[in-house]
Amino acid sequence: MLYKKKWPLLLFLVPGLLFLLVFLYIPFVENIKNSFYEMSAVVRMPGQDWKFIGLENYKRLLTDMDVRSALTNTLKMMILTVIFEVGIAFVLAVMVSQIKRFQQFFRTVYFFPVVISATAIGLLFKLFYNYNGGMLNQILEHFGKEPVLWLGPDLAFVMICIPTLWSYIGFYFVILLTGLSDIPDDIYEAASIDGCSKFKQVFYITLPSLKPVFFTSVTLAVTGALKVFDLPWVLAPNGAPQGLTHFLGTYMYQTAYGLNNYDYASTQALLIVVLGIVVSKGVGAFTADREETGTGKRRRVKRREAA
Amino acid sequence: MFGGTDPNKETYEAINAKFMEENSHVTIEDNSQTSDEEWKAAVNADFSVGNEPDVIQFFTDATADSIVATGKLVSIEEIRAEYPDYAKDTLDSALDAAKNTDGVQRAVPTTGYWEGLYCNKDLFDEYDLELPTDWESLETAILTFQANGIIPIACSLNNVPHYWIEFLMLYSSGIDEYTAVPTTAPEGWIKGLSMFQTLREMGAFPEDTDTVDDAYTGQLFRDKKAAMQLDGSWYAGNIEDTDNTVVIAFPGVPDQKAEANTIVGGISSGFYITRKAWDDPDKRDAAVKFVMAHTSQEGVQQYWEATGAVSQAAVEVTPVEGATPFAESIAAYTSSASAIVAPTDSRIGDAYKTLVSEIVKVSVGQMTAEDAINEAIAIIQSSTEQ
Repeated sequence: MLYKKKWPLLLFLVPGLLFLLVFLYIPFVENIKNSFYEMSAVVRMPGQDWKFIGLENYKRLLTDMDVRSALTNTLKMMILTVIFEVGIAFVLAVMVSQIKRFQQFFRTVYFFPVVISATAIGLLFKLFYNYNGGMLNQILEHFGKEPVLWLGPDLAFVMICIPTLWSYIGFYFVILLTGLSDIPDDIYEAASIDGCSKFKQVFYITLPSLKPVFFTSVTLAVTGALKVFDLPWVLAPNGAPQGLTHFLGTYMYQTAYGLNNYDYASTQALLIVVLGIVVSKGVGAFTADREETGTGKRRRVKRREAA
Repeated sequence: MFGGTDPNKETYEAINAKFMEENSHVTIEDNSQTSDEEWKAAVNADFSVGNEPDVIQFFTDATADSIVATGKLVSIEEIRAEYPDYAKDTLDSALDAAKNTDGVQRAVPTTGYWEGLYCNKDLFDEYDLELPTDWESLETAILTFQANGIIPIACSLNNVPHYWIEFLMLYSSGIDEYTAVPTTAPEGWIKGLSMFQTLREMGAFPEDTDTVDDAYTGQLFRDKKAAMQLDGSWYAGNIEDTDNTVVIAFPGVPDQKAEANTIVGGISSGFYITRKAWDDPDKRDAAVKFVMAHTSQEGVQQYWEATGAVSQAAVEVTPVEGATPFAESIAAYTSSASAIVAPTDSRIGDAYKTLVSEIVKVSVGQMTAEDAINEAIAIIQSSTEQ
């Protein structure tokens, strides 16, 4: 036993707990409370009462077409993050792990977008997408083509997803590459001796061995998709065009600070939190189940053999 | 208020520095910021928890209702009982325009504003067009520019369609209907907002009007890629080509009800003294002197000149010699006004934001103007119930 007396540990844990209590849990409870009132301002002014409206905001949430669109976009983004962020990061990590020289160089290059602020990336891509004199349209015009409205209703969602997904590939790349380095080389060597090709090694050794890291990445990516805000907001504020590119985060922000409808925004915030819990639990249950059928089962067999 | 990128910031700081020089026992703790939504929320929060400043420059319209309701702002009448010279240089009409919505004068204003149609006259000359004076000539100008690859109107419908909302509703409704706080969607308002779809279908706005912001469309206008821009007096300071840019009256809408040359404008902000400073014997005199430094003839003249001598001054100002053709056009525009009307947001507060947020949908026909107005009316009604 590392520590005989546990109470000093508690003493050190309490400040963190208090901090969370004051700055997260109490405001969260307040937020739930606010969603049942009609707030005339972000703070209750002296002598002013907020009207209790019960479930009105929740009823509106169910019929609001913009919420529906924001929810659909967020769910789409969750799927896209798994496919493109984790997927591309995995492919890059496998390839980089295979090379000896320049590995550090690729690590740095692929991770670099993660350290750039989303606002800067958003502004950068805004310059690419601009209809008048944007980089993409300049290229098209150079080849005699008509300029394209890159953030028009047909293309906007895709064009917003591209930098949003791209900017975080490096994050999962580093996580997966670290996971790859934990797989013992002798497994690959044994497989090579048995005649297993490099391609097959990825499917039969790398993927199964990387499962826990992979699932952690998926959980982070899916829950991260719920928090997408800054980059879409810079590229296309207010869900532009025509509210088609709203995510739950951007719509909540617009409701709160664009329309000053704080109570309805509180309701949306609660939806985001509930969705976050449900999704992370769902992904957790799914991955736990998979691990159970894979490595977990093997562990139990080994334990039984040992007994 | 005069913080961030506000063109008045330098003048404001210079007056503050001079004030501290002349009153060495006074130290100003200045917390001026850009007057955006976050700042308004912060001001509300400060007033609600007893952290209000001694002096604040703030809005005078419906935006100020929540802080006025706290009873923490001192009226000019009360101040004048002890300081008869308080706001002595300020025109009565300006003080009247800066009344709060409860009819009490509390704020002392510096300058007011107007909204008008900025035109790149050289583009009109190039395509042999007259500056628009009515709907027909506006329509001709839009179609001609559109056919020649010039953006007729620089406007971001997703960001700042405010000026177009105001003039389209004002000219479609007439002053009485426009200035009344509605309980049902007024016919003139519906007609005015429906004009967004008409203008959009004519190709009046930039292709990317749904996604760009106001700064970008302003640049399009200044780069001569756009011919017209409806904007406020605060935009005048951005105009570099003062020989070929003019400001004219809003041309109008079909079957308009407002008289030609009716202007949207007025005075919407001023300096307030809070009860906290007034009741503190150590601060009362300093607060009064501070407000007078900014709102005296000398102070307002500085603000007026620093912003191009084109705004509506709250005191009698000395005209500036050697005015540019641009400044002359503004003088002609404002002096020929048949009426000056305050914009809708000064009367309906937050409900206006809902109206603004639905303009893109109205312009593409996804939502009717009536539905957008009804949404705003629902907010007006719920806020009056509280």
